[in-house]
Amino acid sequence: MNKDIQLSISQKDDVSILNIKGDVTSISGETIEDAYQKVSTAGAKKILLYFDKDGYINSGGIAILIGIASESRKKEQKIRITGLSPHFQKIFDMVGLTKYTEIFPSEELALKDF
Amino acid sequence: MITDNKVELHIPSVMGYEKIAMECAASMAKKMGFTENRIEDLKTAVAEACLNAIEHGNKMDTSTKVGITLTVEESKLQVLVKDQGKGLDKVTEPNIENKIEGKDQPRGWGIFLIKRLMNEVTFESSPEGGNITKMIIYLEK
Repeated sequence: MNKDIQLSISQKDDVSILNIKGDVTSISGETIEDAYQKVSTAGAKKILLYFDKDGYINSGGIAILIGIASESRKKEQKIRITGLSPHFQKIFDMVGLTKYTEIFPSEELALKDF
Repeated sequence: MITDNKVELHIPSVMGYEKIAMECAASMAKKMGFTENRIEDLKTAVAEACLNAIEHGNKMDTSTKVGITLTVEESKLQVLVKDQGKGLDKVTEPNIENKIEGKDQPRGWGIFLIKRLMNEVTFESSPEGGNITKMIIYLEK
């Protein structure tokens, strides 16, 4: 477990939630990838990435998320995102990640009609 | 080192240390009166410039350092990030579609972000060796 990140997995109905607290970087990326593979192996088709609004996300972390978005298309999974600060919502939009994932302002809205 | 309008720091070429430069730049920008939004832009740009210097410039060689110089001027903050590398490879514009489809590696967003978040950016080779990323962010009135 990387000390820069804390990750827990929870389930709400048919949605697998990855609660990501801390840094999202190439260093911590393995922890996120492992959690994604774990829920995928368990058959998840709806995945919510719940970020920490005070977390640090860099280009290495963005690359990890692009990798997950890419894999999720092949596996016909839907990915939604919540918890991002306005700055990182802007960054995700800038790189084009919002074409492949949906960003919601709250967990409640993200889970609605998922 | 701190002079009246300039702060210089050196970080080791180790991933994670970019956060020290990032927080230092943010403190300086806050003192100058930058908005929270622009401080966030600056933090990402400084972190990415340092990461490039650590990874691509200095090739993660722990015997090398990355130098960061923050210079305050009346209406702008200038950030120089200098590595000890031998020149950077030509970088092509990243394309999310190609990355999602697996045609390109998912990485390679650092320079893209720096260019979009800062007002002015130049990439130069230093006469003494190494690469310099020069970034300027203007204080909005």
